[in-house]
Amino acid sequence: MALGQSPPARGGAATDSLLRWAWAVLCFALPFLFIVVPILAFLVQSFFYVDDGEIVRSLTLDNYVRIATDDSSIPIFLKTCRLAAEVMIVTLVVGYPIAYLLWTLGERTKYLLLLIFVVPLFMSYIIKIYAIRALLGRSGFLNQALVFTGILDQPSTAFLFNLTAVKISLALILIPFTILPIFVSLERIPVNLTYASADLGGNDWQTFRRVILPLSAPGAMTGAAFTFVLAMGDFVTPQMVGGTTGFTFGRIIQSQFGLAFNWPFGAALSVLLLIVVFIALLVAHRLGRLFAGPAA
Amino acid sequence: MRFGTLVRACLWMLAAVTLLLIYGPLFTTVFHSFFSRRGGATDWSSFTFGWYGKLLENEGIRHALVNSILVGFAAVAVALVVGMVLAFYANNPNSRGRGVLEAIVFLPFVMPPVITGLALLIFFQEVDVPRSLVTVTIGHIVFVLAIVYRTLLSRLQSLRRSLVEASYDLGANRWQTFRFVLLPNLKTAIVASAVLAFALSFDETLITLFLASGESTLPLRLWGMMRVGFTPEINALVTLIIILSTGLFLAVARFFRRT
Repeated sequence: MALGQSPPARGGAATDSLLRWAWAVLCFALPFLFIVVPILAFLVQSFFYVDDGEIVRSLTLDNYVRIATDDSSIPIFLKTCRLAAEVMIVTLVVGYPIAYLLWTLGERTKYLLLLIFVVPLFMSYIIKIYAIRALLGRSGFLNQALVFTGILDQPSTAFLFNLTAVKISLALILIPFTILPIFVSLERIPVNLTYASADLGGNDWQTFRRVILPLSAPGAMTGAAFTFVLAMGDFVTPQMVGGTTGFTFGRIIQSQFGLAFNWPFGAALSVLLLIVVFIALLVAHRLGRLFAGPAA
Repeated sequence: MRFGTLVRACLWMLAAVTLLLIYGPLFTTVFHSFFSRRGGATDWSSFTFGWYGKLLENEGIRHALVNSILVGFAAVAVALVVGMVLAFYANNPNSRGRGVLEAIVFLPFVMPPVITGLALLIFFQEVDVPRSLVTVTIGHIVFVLAIVYRTLLSRLQSLRRSLVEASYDLGANRWQTFRFVLLPNLKTAIVASAVLAFALSFDETLITLFLASGESTLPLRLWGMMRVGFTPEINALVTLIIILSTGLFLAVARFFRRT
């Protein structure tokens, strides 16, 4: 049905193939220039270095050596990996049952509730952090509720400006990202399969365990991978609710492009981030296929 | 069966608590755009629309809002044209390197936004383009392109071949087929992806932070204000943005339900 193929060529075969080539080059030009070239520029930059406030364009491995040897990069990197993994697990453990519940509801309620769960995806990210910060803060709702019920004598500052606050905020922001792909993959399961399972004597649990869970695993893994990637690279949330102890890898990267002014080092740190991200996506893809294995 | 009921009750509880945690903070913010606090408690006599008025007088916010809208429109317009061309290219089985092209287009959507942002920042620095709203717009185009491309391609793939064949049979040329057969069929997909892309652009923060200089967009402005502290004025702005984005979302959701 493609536009370019059906009508008989009016010019000769040569002009037609030339046109096809020109068309292909045109299509590739912009994505190549604004997506591929910047990524290459960033990869190359990670081998440059800064001297006297100027970026020196000659290749060196110094940035990578510094990452491996200095006493903050790797520890913060590992800390952030752990944080992102924890956020991912929480959103998966909470998100999967919710997506499953929604899926089992009647046509109308199902989509209405799904809508309510995913509307926050559209709400400004900055606003969500701001609102969560107001909730966790000293005069926030959480403290007021705890003082009101007598659990605390006076408002606590323990809920904000630490790593836990970062985890809570990220989990709340990212949970719709997990629910949506899981729901979509549940929707794709043919109803016949669940009937067949029941006909063959499977009870609800067995049907869930042997049919539904494996078939929705790829969606769940995709959702989890996205959560991990976004939590890993975020630097605004940690900055807004993390305080000084909530320093994450994204924040070190960003600071290299701000006050610290060491773009090449920042680029090298980002290469590390990029590697982890691709490993995460690859693992998620493999795991999804593995779980789906015999059922798919 | 009793066990099943218990499980369902637990699931409902979990869903309810999650909703409360997601929406609770937002409602509190909306609430405080009308009522102010005094000494840690809500002052019920303080109901006012005044903070909304204050907002309109705020030059900086108005400016940032205009910037956001400009960037959004420009990014959506370019992304629609490029996304459409790419979708047509990918839809043609004879095209070369469709898989590669798709992978490239999806890259900025899959990578953490920090990386997209700093890669573009470094690129612009190397080619000596100063940061401005133009660089911000390019960042947004790169980011929303995947959504536009995917939505349009899905719609194209769902159209029957016979539609285009019939058009050619009846003597239409390529342009006429595009204009009178394909475009009308793509209309809803175009509108939906445009709204979706605009919403993404309007909210984009992490990439923008790297690419903006003096001129800021609304999220950057908000971020700046919030670092200074809480004011009912911010709450009013937040309320307006929540209403706007929910409206946009419902519009898109209606489209996706129909297809």
